[in-house]
Amino acid sequence: MKKILLISVLLLAAVLLSGCTGSTTWFGLSAVGDVAYVANNSAVHAIDLKTGNELWTFSGEASSGIFSFGKSPKLFVVAPIVTADGTVIIANSGNDHDMYAVNPKDIADPQKPIPAIVWKFVDVKGHWIAAPLIVGDHLFAPNADGKIYVLDLKDGQSVKKAIKIIEPFKDVPSKPERLWSQPVSDGKRLYVTSLDHSVFAIDLATYDIVWHEDLGGAIPGGAVLGSDGMLYVGSYAKQLERFDPATGKHESVLKTNGWIWGTPVVDGDNLYFGDIVSGVGGYFYSYNTKTGKSNFEPVKFESEITASPLVLPDHVLVVTESGNIYAIDATGAKTSWFEVTKGKAYTTPVFANDSVLVSYIEADYYLIALDKDGHKKWTFPAGK
Amino acid sequence: MKNPDNKLQQPELPQGFSTETLKTIAVVGVLVFAFTNWNMVIAFMVNAMIFIYRLVGHNFGIAIILFTILIRVVTWPLNAQQMKGATAMQEMQNDKEWQAIQKKYAKDKEKLAQEQMRVYREKGINPFGSCLPTLIQFPILFALIPTITYAIGSTPLSLLRLSGYVYQAQNVATLLPLNSKFLWMDLGLPERTLFLGISIPILALIVGLTTYVQTKLTMPPAASADPNDQAAQTSKMMGYYMPVMLFFFSLNYASGLAVYFITSNLLAIIQYALMGRVNWRNLFPGGQK
Repeated sequence: MKKILLISVLLLAAVLLSGCTGSTTWFGLSAVGDVAYVANNSAVHAIDLKTGNELWTFSGEASSGIFSFGKSPKLFVVAPIVTADGTVIIANSGNDHDMYAVNPKDIADPQKPIPAIVWKFVDVKGHWIAAPLIVGDHLFAPNADGKIYVLDLKDGQSVKKAIKIIEPFKDVPSKPERLWSQPVSDGKRLYVTSLDHSVFAIDLATYDIVWHEDLGGAIPGGAVLGSDGMLYVGSYAKQLERFDPATGKHESVLKTNGWIWGTPVVDGDNLYFGDIVSGVGGYFYSYNTKTGKSNFEPVKFESEITASPLVLPDHVLVVTESGNIYAIDATGAKTSWFEVTKGKAYTTPVFANDSVLVSYIEADYYLIALDKDGHKKWTFPAGK
Repeated sequence: MKNPDNKLQQPELPQGFSTETLKTIAVVGVLVFAFTNWNMVIAFMVNAMIFIYRLVGHNFGIAIILFTILIRVVTWPLNAQQMKGATAMQEMQNDKEWQAIQKKYAKDKEKLAQEQMRVYREKGINPFGSCLPTLIQFPILFALIPTITYAIGSTPLSLLRLSGYVYQAQNVATLLPLNSKFLWMDLGLPERTLFLGISIPILALIVGLTTYVQTKLTMPPAASADPNDQAAQTSKMMGYYMPVMLFFFSLNYASGLAVYFITSNLLAIIQYALMGRVNWRNLFPGGQK
């Protein structure tokens, strides 16, 4: 009897342990038109913003055959993006590293709505953490293997191979060249940040690296183009850096208390962003690109800020790790806007269809829709 | 009080308290401390790992190997005690007095337990001597999984958690992210090698193989001889199931953990060999006879 018990415990432990990927992270969130997309690790759910009901779900292709034995589960954490014709680009951040384009208009079984796969791209070696960027007919997909895969969206046909692989770190193979954030583009160049402290510009006509600079600290967030035409980047170097996009010449314009995680947000001449200060919490900053000064003193929070702020007409919403959301007015005054009893928030919130969408982990729901006053409209899954 | 020999007097233990009991209490105390201060344990191990990483020129693979060696060295006395305890327990199975009381009190479990404890006391054997050192290594093993996962920081959440664990003095802002490349692997990802178009988990297979070899080599001779010996048969089964369990584990976890398992297995074999307790014959079918 003891033998059977021991064997059972060991086998159970083996199954449980092998089922874990060890790489679970916070959810990806995006919204286009009346539809919100949440990548909640196990699947991507498309949700009707008016009702909070699920429209379809996608969890990749089912593994089959003997070679699927021991295969790791799929992991969906990248915010899905939508092309002009409504195709949804979904990345699997599990160990298979595949990227899908699915067509929500092509659903075979309405009882079990799963969009048809238009194409699938598998030729990568690293995790997908960053959301790709569509520029014209091309999809620029940065990967944690340090390469940017350029895919053709034009014909909607299978793109089993990238039409171009940009390798900014080709000559520095020993560096941890992870690309974790969505690039930004002015139409002529692509500006990419990497966790290995680098910021670089790529010519979209030639795919050449125009310039490459080191910030001296990890850059988990992306770059942003300000109203002054300059490029702004935050990093673990505890400073907001301003780049001349033409030359790559840069300077520090604002010292911060902690590490900047999220991509700064532009609103006219103002930039908004938060930081993380270990053991303390986080600070919220407002920087005016015209005057080159802070609009007010950094606003302190009890927990860290990894999400980018959300700009609304009357105030800026700051989502903190604790899950609580605060409204900051033009003077830097802080008021509690929404409180949670359970869950943590790291994902950047989205405003769509008169709703503020916030994604939580370790909560009873993945997504909550709030009205402009911070009152709950619905949650997904519903009833929680 | 007079002390004619002018020697330090050993404080007398309360009645019923043996040195072995105190050791047991100490081990339980360490376990309780570790599990109630879990974040402190992880933080210590994360910082030790980063310290070694910096020391060895930003090579995380070497850092894991050195860290494993460090853990082995620190737990050497515990492992030695475990081996000693296991051997003593095995030898006890062949003791005539032990066998006699098994027969005599076969139907009186309570009396049998009392007699067994008496024999243990008389022979100076701690029945938990072989499992207590193992227990104290559990927090280290459990803490290693998040330590390696966070240190590699292959997802945003793990990097963020790492940020919360590093000591200010480490000044890691310029160091992060850690370089997870080692040999042909990315230590943050499960290892797969393409051979003739088939993806083969070489590292997981090596983990399974080394675990099997280590378990077999370090199995006391009696463990595989007597089919009626419950402990012996459990040890024998462990020889089969542990490799399978760790193989599955390595299949889907970051390969950095597989590097730890392989290093740990090889070091265990070396340690047993140095102590003259390796049974090479166990590796071959029929070799135990």
